[in-house]
Amino acid sequence: MRKILVIDDEKPTLSMFRLFLNAYGFTVFTAENGEDGLVVFQKEQPAIVITDIKMPGMDGLEVLKRIKELNPLAEVIIITGHGDLDLAIRALNMNATDFINKPIQKAALDQALRRAEERLTMAENEEKEISWVQEDDMACIDIRGNVNAASEPVLLEAYGQISTWSVPKILFRFNENASINGAGIAVLIQLLTESKQRGQAVILTGLAENFRKVFEMVGVTKLARIVQDETEARSVLSGMSA
Amino acid sequence: MQNTRGLGATSRSMMSSLREASLKNKIFFSTLAMVLVISATIALLARWILISSLVNELTGRGIAIAQSIADQGRGYVLTRDHPNLVSLLFDNAQLGERRMLVEYIFILDDERNVLSHTFIRPFPEPLSSANPIPADKQYSVARLIIDDASVYDIAVPIWEGIYPIGTVHVGLKQKHIDQLIGKLRITFLGFISAIIIIIFLVSHKLSKYVTRSLTQLTKLADDITRGNLDLKPMALEESDKEEHCPAYYNMDLPCWYVDKTLGRFSPDYTPEKPAYCTDCVVKKKKSGDEVEQLADSFKHMVRSIKLYRNRVRESEEKYRSLFRSGPAPIFVLSTRTFRILDANPSALATYDYSKEEMLKTSFLELAPEFKNRFTAFFRDNPESESFIYPKAMHFKKGESPFYVNVVACKTRYLERDAIIVSTSDITEMLEKDAQLIQASKMTSLGQLSAGIAHELNQPLNMIKMGSEFLDMAVNEQMPLSNESLREISNEMSTQVDRATEIINHLREFGRKSDFSKEPIDINKPVRGVMSIMAHQLSLQNIVVTLDLDESIPPVSAHVNRLEQVLFNLVTNARDAIQDRYKTLEEEGHREIVIRSFLDHDRVCLSVADTGCGMSPSVAEKIFDPFYTTKQTGMGMGLGLSISYGIIKDYDGTIDIKSEEGEGTIFVLSFPIAQE
Repeated sequence: MRKILVIDDEKPTLSMFRLFLNAYGFTVFTAENGEDGLVVFQKEQPAIVITDIKMPGMDGLEVLKRIKELNPLAEVIIITGHGDLDLAIRALNMNATDFINKPIQKAALDQALRRAEERLTMAENEEKEISWVQEDDMACIDIRGNVNAASEPVLLEAYGQISTWSVPKILFRFNENASINGAGIAVLIQLLTESKQRGQAVILTGLAENFRKVFEMVGVTKLARIVQDETEARSVLSGMSA
Repeated sequence: MQNTRGLGATSRSMMSSLREASLKNKIFFSTLAMVLVISATIALLARWILISSLVNELTGRGIAIAQSIADQGRGYVLTRDHPNLVSLLFDNAQLGERRMLVEYIFILDDERNVLSHTFIRPFPEPLSSANPIPADKQYSVARLIIDDASVYDIAVPIWEGIYPIGTVHVGLKQKHIDQLIGKLRITFLGFISAIIIIIFLVSHKLSKYVTRSLTQLTKLADDITRGNLDLKPMALEESDKEEHCPAYYNMDLPCWYVDKTLGRFSPDYTPEKPAYCTDCVVKKKKSGDEVEQLADSFKHMVRSIKLYRNRVRESEEKYRSLFRSGPAPIFVLSTRTFRILDANPSALATYDYSKEEMLKTSFLELAPEFKNRFTAFFRDNPESESFIYPKAMHFKKGESPFYVNVVACKTRYLERDAIIVSTSDITEMLEKDAQLIQASKMTSLGQLSAGIAHELNQPLNMIKMGSEFLDMAVNEQMPLSNESLREISNEMSTQVDRATEIINHLREFGRKSDFSKEPIDINKPVRGVMSIMAHQLSLQNIVVTLDLDESIPPVSAHVNRLEQVLFNLVTNARDAIQDRYKTLEEEGHREIVIRSFLDHDRVCLSVADTGCGMSPSVAEKIFDPFYTTKQTGMGMGLGLSISYGIIKDYDGTIDIKSEEGEGTIFVLSFPIAQE
């Protein structure tokens, strides 16, 4: 029974969260503003915190910062308004694990919760977040967990190896629980630019919807195609002449 | 009766003909008549005096002659010395000019016998007995007729002691006397005639002289009446020295002296005169009689008339052309009935009437509001000459409305009180205004959009989550308590209402308002703006305090335009607060207070903030278009200038109290709407 804390200034939203999360079997705590939320967090130490980003008084980013100060391993999911991607990226850069858009769809909420869960178990099991393999004329890079500044050396190492293989196609496979922040995106763009110069075809797949939006926004799509489904991605790649 | 009437008529016609006689004739005839009367009087007097005294004188002479003969001849009479007597008589009769005067001399003795005589014909017998001397007289004078000649016979007695011894008779020629009198008369008449002729000539000359000037002046005046003012310039022909005065040759220039164009000047200040005025030809008093002075004055008068007529004509032409071809519609109305007496082509074109139709129309058909406005204004300001009011709805032919600004002033037209009204079509301007306001509203909405999106997202979020929860419950056959169901359904309904309200408000705010104002509650726009902005402000940790007077009278305005003004003020207040407290965490008093209250019969609305305030120099400029203190790209600098325009439209005022670093209060005030 994981504890979960929801912070939002909207009472109706809070009551809906309570319904859902109770149905999912979480122990739910709610707070109507950041200060109260922090008090509850310190008291209850929930593993997952869902917080609205725009709130009177202390806003979501401040809450995120404080929570990460209190417990860096806490999974903080940020709720953003529609089209507040820049805020979302700021939150990701502050090591928020994920973000969901209002109006919140069940699927997105489920995904975010699942990813949080997975990341929590990964952290508990200390699994590697990035691995890569060669398949014929294609390199596959698997990404789980959180890609951030800390992931840079690993990614560079992976790319260094891939370049020795000199394959014309690269497939990034993002795990469902993968999330990526600004620093991670910067590294990714650097790598994709290299590939483009080399003339390698790159396809990203398995990205969650919200991250796809982020990638579109920052211009990753100009460097590589994003395909939702892995089989489709493979067919696209095989269609590309080497 | 008839006769008297005839007389009266005659005298009347005489009088009238006398009145109608020319001045020349009047002078001439009256002078002549005077001279004649005087001459006649003198003649009669002279005749009376002269003739009688002449006769007396001559008679006296005759007596003297007779007495001297009587003295000399006494002895001869006594001695009857005839020859001596005869010679004595002849000597006396022939002496000098007595010859002309003396007809005869004879001497009678006491027996009345003729002693001697000077007749060279036989002595006329009747003479001896004629003219006896009465006893008590020294002499006797009688007129006799001797041989058809009239004679004055003078008899003088000859005395010897106390005894009369004879009589001397001297006959004076009546003819000679008559000749003398005739001479005298002729001389006299000649003299009088000469005088009459001289007087006649002089009076003729004089009257001609007087009347010639007068005739000239009359002719001039007639010419002026006929509008012919082409006179010689004031330069009088005899002046041959060079004149520097421009008015001297140019009839169209006023002269300060003649035309009195110096204007008003105080006794201690007289304007500097140019040098050529010191020896002005015109100013020198003309030496001359009254007629010449009259002619002079007349000349000056004509000159002035001409000058001012030219001026009037020029001005009239100027205004006429303005009236004819000016771009603004101009009407001349009767003050009493507001009928249109005249209208210029532009008015006809703008209001779409033909001239005939226009002159049959009352101005109130075109401008229904005019009469009340006009009477009210001049009732309140009777001293004013003209008044202006903006944004009146006028009607073209066929009842199609358009908007104008109106200027009206009182005047006289064809001897009647009239009103001149000029209008200018501002429909297009109002359209542009409305477009501008609309555009700025859209900008405001743009600025708001993020907040609104957030605002709308909240109810949507609940609804979405609620519906998905229900969906999940159905799909997974989760047991659902009625409690939860009711909660969800109620909440959903509430949130839909909330969203609807936001959307309605946005629609209301974004709607283009028409030009006509309506009485509104000033609190309404405040609530409207707050419903859109309150949440955003709270996200920025700004407290909004509303202090609204619920019983406040209405103002004449548009709700959504006032919302725009308020939106602007509140946005500026928010920015000022954010400018003062750079981050959300910074401790400080972040508050916006909006009050509505009544002050001196004006409805007031104040927006106060605890922001950064502004310096007086900035406060002076904030209503200027494109003036902004915000960073590039953050504001156009149009918000307040448009707000200012909107407030002015409602006859409102806007005041600023601001202290740098302490905050700002904007106070709007509007007149109470007239029901």
